[in-house]
Amino acid sequence: MVRNILIALALAGAASPLAAVSLSVRVVDASGKPVKDAVVTLHPAGSAARPAHAGGRFVISQQNMQFHPFLTIVPVGSDVSFPNYDNTKHHVYSFSPAKKFELKLFAKDQSRTVHFEKAGVVALGCNIHDQMSAFIVVTDSAWTARTNAQGMVTFADAPNGPGHLSVWHPYLRSPGGELTQAVAPAQHSASFEVRLRPPPSAMSMTDY
Amino acid sequence: MFRDACRLRIGSAIPLGCALAALWAIPARADGDLELFTPANFELNGDVRLVAVDGEKSWVERGFGKLRSGSDGELRVQPELGNASLVWKPQFTWSVGGVFVGSVQGGQRTDAGLSQAYLTYRPMRSSNFAFSARAGLMWPPVSLEHEGADWHVKDSITPSAINSWIGEEVRPVAAEGSISTRIADHKLRATVAIFAANDTAGTLLTFRGWALHDRTTLAFRSQPLPPLGPLTGHQAPFTHPLIDLHSGFAHRPGYYAKLVWVPPAPVRLELFHYDNRANPQTVTPAPEWGWRTRFDDAGLVADLGSGAELKAQALQGRTRMGFVIDGRRFVDDRFRSGFVMLTRPFGKVGLAVRAEAFDTRNLGSIWTDEYDGHGWSAMLAAKRQWGPVTALAELLHVWSDTPVREDAGEPDRQRQTQLQAEVRMHW
Repeated sequence: MVRNILIALALAGAASPLAAVSLSVRVVDASGKPVKDAVVTLHPAGSAARPAHAGGRFVISQQNMQFHPFLTIVPVGSDVSFPNYDNTKHHVYSFSPAKKFELKLFAKDQSRTVHFEKAGVVALGCNIHDQMSAFIVVTDSAWTARTNAQGMVTFADAPNGPGHLSVWHPYLRSPGGELTQAVAPAQHSASFEVRLRPPPSAMSMTDY
Repeated sequence: MFRDACRLRIGSAIPLGCALAALWAIPARADGDLELFTPANFELNGDVRLVAVDGEKSWVERGFGKLRSGSDGELRVQPELGNASLVWKPQFTWSVGGVFVGSVQGGQRTDAGLSQAYLTYRPMRSSNFAFSARAGLMWPPVSLEHEGADWHVKDSITPSAINSWIGEEVRPVAAEGSISTRIADHKLRATVAIFAANDTAGTLLTFRGWALHDRTTLAFRSQPLPPLGPLTGHQAPFTHPLIDLHSGFAHRPGYYAKLVWVPPAPVRLELFHYDNRANPQTVTPAPEWGWRTRFDDAGLVADLGSGAELKAQALQGRTRMGFVIDGRRFVDDRFRSGFVMLTRPFGKVGLAVRAEAFDTRNLGSIWTDEYDGHGWSAMLAAKRQWGPVTALAELLHVWSDTPVREDAGEPDRQRQTQLQAEVRMHW
């Protein structure tokens, strides 16, 4: 009998963190205005952590001398293709520790594909057109999303347990462009106040 | 081979010869990046236009008219072939390529020839620096109005006086290197070049004055000069802007340098300096003289949001020619010009409006202040693109005053208005 009660308590204790709660995260700047397109990731502690569905195929195109979209969130193990729709060649590269690569000259209507096997932020550029810039957030957490126009992200099925939240934005004034905070069990909301620097100018310096 | 070719007397064949010699000098690499004759290596561009113009005879017909087309005072309307270019952009390795442009220019005088011929080198950048280089016959990076290998005018049909002059007299055979870096949120780019074969730059600007047109000088080709007044017989009635007059190619190389700064704001600032270091006392049997020409150029591009853009450019320089008499060379011309242009899309139509002013001041012993000139112009242009076809319409008015017209029996002050409709194609 006692043994059954202990097993039941143990199961209850184990099951409790796995129960889903809704966790809303708001990101605002120093003046309280919502920050759009910040990437919020929940990293539950221990066994509640769940990787994002591995793999998947994503597309970042080059059109009108820009990458589209500017920000892409992909799970670890994804393939991202880079079709070129411009009349000129591009030379896509990244120096980011999460994925170093370069796609040497490829012309209009040609495409190259890169596999991303490590979590982290990948900054993209073009060796020919210095004004081109984009970011890929490669995530290993099932709870990763970007803020909407109201600066909000809601994880409807967040684990009811401890963990930590991180927010990343390409122009966030913080080491690595990231801030983190702890999450307590049964917490339903969190907020980040961030300081952003102005976006770098999209002006090209290329003469030819 | 490259060096041997460059030792040759420039005459008219060196610009192409150097470029082709340099092409031979590239080490061949069978790394799969070689692309010479695929469709992606070629571009074909061209335009036809309907031109309505009044006012004086064009400079193209040895007049003092400031525009590409002119009249006898009455309104003249006629269709014209504008410019057509075949561009070959071979890729020798992924980092070494070339740009070779053959052009035909129509209108009141038809020219055909080589427009640009240069090699490019763009290795993979590091995380902090990006390096690139060019070598051959090419326009220096001055114009804020031109783009593409065929160097077409982006937002209008007719470029400003500054960039019209760059197109006709400032195109050396150069070896150019650029380095870019980023410091905090500031982007910087520095460019330096040494060059030859641009020893007569300034001839057309001095004798004719500033002009507004999209005719460019092609390699081996000349430009006509208006009546030369007291220098008749001492200067050929034409000029070859793309030649080296000195004994031994690049015996007195010129140089240019450029600095670009993009601060953390939607603004780009440019400074450019040019000095051809030509000997103003060198003269050919033609006779064509060396013109010691120096100028500084400042440019500003500002993104105003909603697709609107402000461009401004100012250029100031000095050119000298001939021997010294009483402490002054035959010609000592100070020239300057500036423009402001605003572009903005309205739906699918892009509008451009530009205002500019220009003048020349002469302090030469023969070409004196009675040959000074000044003027202004205003332009309004509209542009609409359908895939490879672009339609443009442009209204341009120019007013100028130069006493040199009186030598030809014309009033010194002239007004000219030109309305053009153009269909431009790009494949």
